[in-house]
Amino acid sequence: MSEPVVDEAAQAPPAPTEAANKPPAQAKSDATNPKPAEAGAPKKLSPAELKKQKQAEKQARRAQQKAGGEPPTQQKGPPQKDGQKQQKDSKQAPKDDKSRPLPVRRRPSQSSVPAPKDLKKEAKKDWKQVGLFFGHLYSQPRQHSMVGASKDVHPAVLSLGLQYSSYTVCGSTARMVAMLLAFKAVIESYQTPVGTSLARHLTSHHLSPQIDYLRSCRPLSISMGNAIRWLKDIIIKIDPSTPEAEAKRELLEEIDMFIRERVTAADKLIRDLAATKIEPGDVILTYASSSIVEQTILQAHKAGVPFSVIIVDSKPLFEGKQLARKLANRGINVRYYFITGVSHAVKDATKVFLGAHAMMSNGRLYSRVGTALVSMLANSHSLPVIVLCESVKFTEKVALDSIVGNEVAPAEELLSESERAALIPLKSQLPQTSSKADDKTNPEETKTGTSDVLKWIEGSDNLHHLQVLYDVTPAQYINMVITEYGSLPPSSVPVVHRLSTNT
Amino acid sequence: MSAQTPTAEKPLPEFDIVSTYSSILQADPDLTMPVAAIEALVEAIAHSSVSTVAETLALLEHHTAVLKASIPNPISLSAGTDLFQRYLITTLNRPAALNLGPGDDFRAIRNHLLSNGRLFVERAKQSREKIASFGKHFIRDGATVLTNGGSRVVGALLRRAAESSTMRFRVIYVLSPSSSSDSREGHQTVADLRAHNVPVATIPDSAVAYSLGKVDMVIVGAEGVVENGGIISRLGTYQMGLLAKSKGKPFYVVAESHKFVRLYPLSQFDLPIEQKVLDFKVTDDNKATHGQTKPTEDEGIADMNAKEIQSKCSGLNADDAVDFTPPDLISGIITESGVLTPSAVSEELIKIWF
Amino acid sequence: MPSEDSHSLNFLPQFTTREAPLSLNKSSGKNLRTENPTANFVLRSSPKLGTTPPPPSRQLHLTPSASKITDTRISICSVDRMTQGAVAVAPGLSSFLKSLKTTPADPSVEHFISLLKRRQIRNSRPCAIATTALMLRVVGEFKGRDAAKLMERIRQVGRRLTAAQPREVVVGNIVRRVLGLVREVLDENVGGDTNGGFDTGRNTPTQPHDSMTRPTLASSISTFSPLKHAAVEPMDASLHQSDMSESGELPKRPGLLTSHTSYAPASAAPLVNSLFGLFSQPTDTPSNASTPTGYTSPEGKSAHSLNLERLADLSKSQPNLDLRAEVMDGIKELQDELEQSDEQIASVALEHIHSNEIILTHTASTTVQKFLLSAARKRKFTVVHAETYPHDNTATHGILLTGRKREGHVHDEEDQWKPLTSVGIPVYVIPDSHVFAIMSRVNKVILATHTVLANGGLVAAAGAHMIAKAAKEHQTPVVVLSGVYKLSPVYPFDIDELIEYGDAGSVVPYDDGEFVDKVDVENPLYDYVPADLVDLYITNLGGHAPSYLYRIVADHYRSEDITL
Repeated sequence: MSEPVVDEAAQAPPAPTEAANKPPAQAKSDATNPKPAEAGAPKKLSPAELKKQKQAEKQARRAQQKAGGEPPTQQKGPPQKDGQKQQKDSKQAPKDDKSRPLPVRRRPSQSSVPAPKDLKKEAKKDWKQVGLFFGHLYSQPRQHSMVGASKDVHPAVLSLGLQYSSYTVCGSTARMVAMLLAFKAVIESYQTPVGTSLARHLTSHHLSPQIDYLRSCRPLSISMGNAIRWLKDIIIKIDPSTPEAEAKRELLEEIDMFIRERVTAADKLIRDLAATKIEPGDVILTYASSSIVEQTILQAHKAGVPFSVIIVDSKPLFEGKQLARKLANRGINVRYYFITGVSHAVKDATKVFLGAHAMMSNGRLYSRVGTALVSMLANSHSLPVIVLCESVKFTEKVALDSIVGNEVAPAEELLSESERAALIPLKSQLPQTSSKADDKTNPEETKTGTSDVLKWIEGSDNLHHLQVLYDVTPAQYINMVITEYGSLPPSSVPVVHRLSTNT
Repeated sequence: MSAQTPTAEKPLPEFDIVSTYSSILQADPDLTMPVAAIEALVEAIAHSSVSTVAETLALLEHHTAVLKASIPNPISLSAGTDLFQRYLITTLNRPAALNLGPGDDFRAIRNHLLSNGRLFVERAKQSREKIASFGKHFIRDGATVLTNGGSRVVGALLRRAAESSTMRFRVIYVLSPSSSSDSREGHQTVADLRAHNVPVATIPDSAVAYSLGKVDMVIVGAEGVVENGGIISRLGTYQMGLLAKSKGKPFYVVAESHKFVRLYPLSQFDLPIEQKVLDFKVTDDNKATHGQTKPTEDEGIADMNAKEIQSKCSGLNADDAVDFTPPDLISGIITESGVLTPSAVSEELIKIWF
Repeated sequence: MPSEDSHSLNFLPQFTTREAPLSLNKSSGKNLRTENPTANFVLRSSPKLGTTPPPPSRQLHLTPSASKITDTRISICSVDRMTQGAVAVAPGLSSFLKSLKTTPADPSVEHFISLLKRRQIRNSRPCAIATTALMLRVVGEFKGRDAAKLMERIRQVGRRLTAAQPREVVVGNIVRRVLGLVREVLDENVGGDTNGGFDTGRNTPTQPHDSMTRPTLASSISTFSPLKHAAVEPMDASLHQSDMSESGELPKRPGLLTSHTSYAPASAAPLVNSLFGLFSQPTDTPSNASTPTGYTSPEGKSAHSLNLERLADLSKSQPNLDLRAEVMDGIKELQDELEQSDEQIASVALEHIHSNEIILTHTASTTVQKFLLSAARKRKFTVVHAETYPHDNTATHGILLTGRKREGHVHDEEDQWKPLTSVGIPVYVIPDSHVFAIMSRVNKVILATHTVLANGGLVAAAGAHMIAKAAKEHQTPVVVLSGVYKLSPVYPFDIDELIEYGDAGSVVPYDDGEFVDKVDVENPLYDYVPADLVDLYITNLGGHAPSYLYRIVADHYRSEDITL
């Protein structure tokens, strides 16, 4: 049973849900019109109780957005959220220094609304920055500390959120598993308030803040959305008469079971199957790093199949480097390319294995940005492109391109420290047209730091850095998707998705 | 150069251009149709007593028409006759070109032609060798080459590549089991290559798509290279081109430049010859002849069996048929003067015809 | 004996079958130079460079252009050295050009070779500039009037240079063009007074028939031979009648390309077309048949087939021919061409960029930046810039920030231009991996190139292939900007030979020693982009379809020079 509420909450942006999707954090500074949210609420066709929950959420959000400007219609939640909001505001100031180009992101539609004076400069820049491709995605600043977190957020979730935002925990599956484990801790320490039942209270009042917090750290992955939906479904199905302790125990078991079934066992099935696709003499090309691809390669290597691996990698995360290191340490012959060399890499490869962030229902692959390039070139070289993907990453969403739905990465991450350092010598050549750059150059005579480079870039009115995390690979580049249900063509993704969610 | 030597005033009735042509072809199995045609025309001039430009041209036109009419697939042949005709027109219109006195022009040209008849043939053969020695650079170490038909120039190229000991390459040869002279030529090439330790796989036409995954490049011969840079070649070449393109494999054509022909086919069915490839029937009476494909020929068989062909003037059946490979499928045309892009072929033809 | 029409042709930038600056046609060349404002430069001695004492006597004429180059083109090279900051004099183009003024040719050749080998001069433009300057020096120091010896000298230098760094194809291109210059000077002068006298079968190129009947297409098929690969095995003598007449030293070298055209066209000069090669007169061909060229075809000069020795004799017999001076004039025109090609390319920008376009480009290319800037003067558009990590990313960011990819220590007001962003063009920098994602919103892809090959393919900074391919998949047109000097007559038989692999250290820092030990880190610097992924080439001669490049190539290189 899919629950629209969670779904919306969990996922990034398709247009209609955008309003509902607006996380609290975003609200603080802007003149967001509350209309869409209000209008959106009645439209939802959710079951009664879900609707209620959703309204509660929405109102909470709205209340927070307006910062008391309008009387909240319902009083569940707002107090904490207000508090959260305030904290965020206060925290925003210090944070700005560290992460320069990440000021309040605003959606283009809002930008026409005159912003408050103090924000004007940044707002203007923001509008330009977001105006071109991913304007609709700049909706929230990313949380990099726990300062602004609601007091309801469980410590385990707090630390997890930081791991998310720093990419310490990275990868769709890993993030989902980590989230579920953190939720176990949340559930263990949960106590149902008097006068309500666990089934009614836990989801909306206790889990939701956790989820919101996680989302503020980094947009939820498809798999996390799926898992959250599943979890809420389980919680709601709990008989209100069940004693709390028992209900919690059941929940914890269910979560363990879910991880075992949908991840651990699924991974095993997938890698067993995929490893048989690696034949002696093969040259397996993979992009960035996927745990399931890694397991597959190691499995085949353990089985004694002689083959080598080409890893193609790209900025800024360099996930492939870790994979290369791991595989090389196991004695596998590894070659390592950057994405710019991918057209050379595919010449030598015989098969391409890719991990997935999600499989869309129209058969397209949503994965680390650059995957589409690799698949395209592999396809043009007639290499089989094989996607390894647990069914928990399947989604009923569809996508045509990489623009509509995506996750924006902070632009300052585009330049690593060393790259910034490499640009420092340019200081003397900076055009004097940019007043901002001017300001910086004067006081800094003493020493130019790498952060100044970012300031130049930010100071340049028309220069923008753009980064997203994912792209969408057309289905025709993909020859095979291997899931725990077996191998299937990309066109069968919706079939499997239905199967796996109906059971 | 077998020559009857009638010395009549009017050469037309006495001189049999067709039989001259076929005897030239038969005398030298290495000869290609265009060159044989040129030879025959030179003979014709030799046997005539024409003394003016206009007469000569009229004579040529007549013979050319007769010759073309006599064989079912005159495309290749017309490359030679057209070239010769253009040459004469260009030369005769510009007598100063030879730096001769005005009175001597015509005679000088005639003498030049007559006295150097064999030379043309030699040059034509040389160009094949030249293509071979140059084109072998296309074959890189470790490559797998797909080829078809019995094109002698392709054979020469592969042999030349095989002779250089530094290179190891493999050949996939599209070969029919039939005993046509075309496949005889093919078998000969295969045998030669194997003798040089080049691994050769022979496949039927139907296995081209299957094999293409292992192929690095396709090299084919051509019967004629047409104005837009496409080629006319034995039936099956077009599909190889299409398949190679779809798999992104380079598709090279090997052809001497005297095979450039002034022809601009728009489609397979726009060739100036009649082909009985598509033969719709409601009865299966003709099963015996059409039931089994026996692929055919490019210029090879046409040249060598001109007489045979002559007997079936009524149109080409599937065995002798040709198809047209459009220029967008061709990566390059290897001629004796370099690798041409299809557009360069076009320029060459434009230059002599406009 | 150039006909008058060639003059006018020279000034039509779009006229593609010949290229104006290269014309050695004396009179037209001079016209060109005077008409061209930048050709009449005045030497500004910059404080740094002017300190070198002017070279004495004989080389005086060389000084202005050399130092001009130094002035304006300093250290475009070596992007990576930018990272070293303002080190005073890193060895590179500027130091080379500086030293060239005082150093004789031979040590300069050595110097250049070592710079090439150490990659201290790299990328097409610096290599071209350095090669041209060196050639000027080499020719300038050449004594004597023997054209054959001069050509052999140039060849010999060229061979060493190309051997030093075979992947800088531009070096070979320039050498070939200089050789072509020598030939053209000779052709011109020989054609003048040997009309009818020099060989019975041959005639002068000024055939009225020629120029009237086929004014522009008169070249022979062998002008396509730019596509020929260099390493053709030597022909059997029996196959190749004209080998005999090859000038003395040539047959000794295996792999000489001239053997190709043996029976072909040039020997039938009046016939003009190689398709007639079959009929050409057999015995009266004393000259090597391989001298046809489409290069000068409008005048019909191409029809000449000249033997080197013969030429040498002729030039000796012509006391008034100052071979050296004429060739040097030609080289200077070549320098002007290098100088102006970016501007010429930029001048057509408005024909290719419309308002509100979204244009994707990559790497740091002055040609592309100038092109976009030129369009930005009149139109508003948006640029998406792939940073080309890890090779050119620093330069990319640098060029976007400052408008130049020079090192910090060179201050040259004239050559500075504003970054695109300062003229109101929004620029979005994206990592290379985003190309496919963004491509669906891009209207046009503009690529810079390292070398353009005669089959219409190109070698460009790594990542170019995936960009072009992604553009193809999205039906987005791909435009390649390239000066004609980057066009190479080399046929890409083996593409891998042209691809340079860079230092793995820029992919994975060496301090990660364990990683580097265990993993093969590959760092290709260039991509080969096949011709079918390119929709349009824009050179300083105008726009061309990839299928037409063979002609441009044929117009600029003599087939006999293709193998150095």
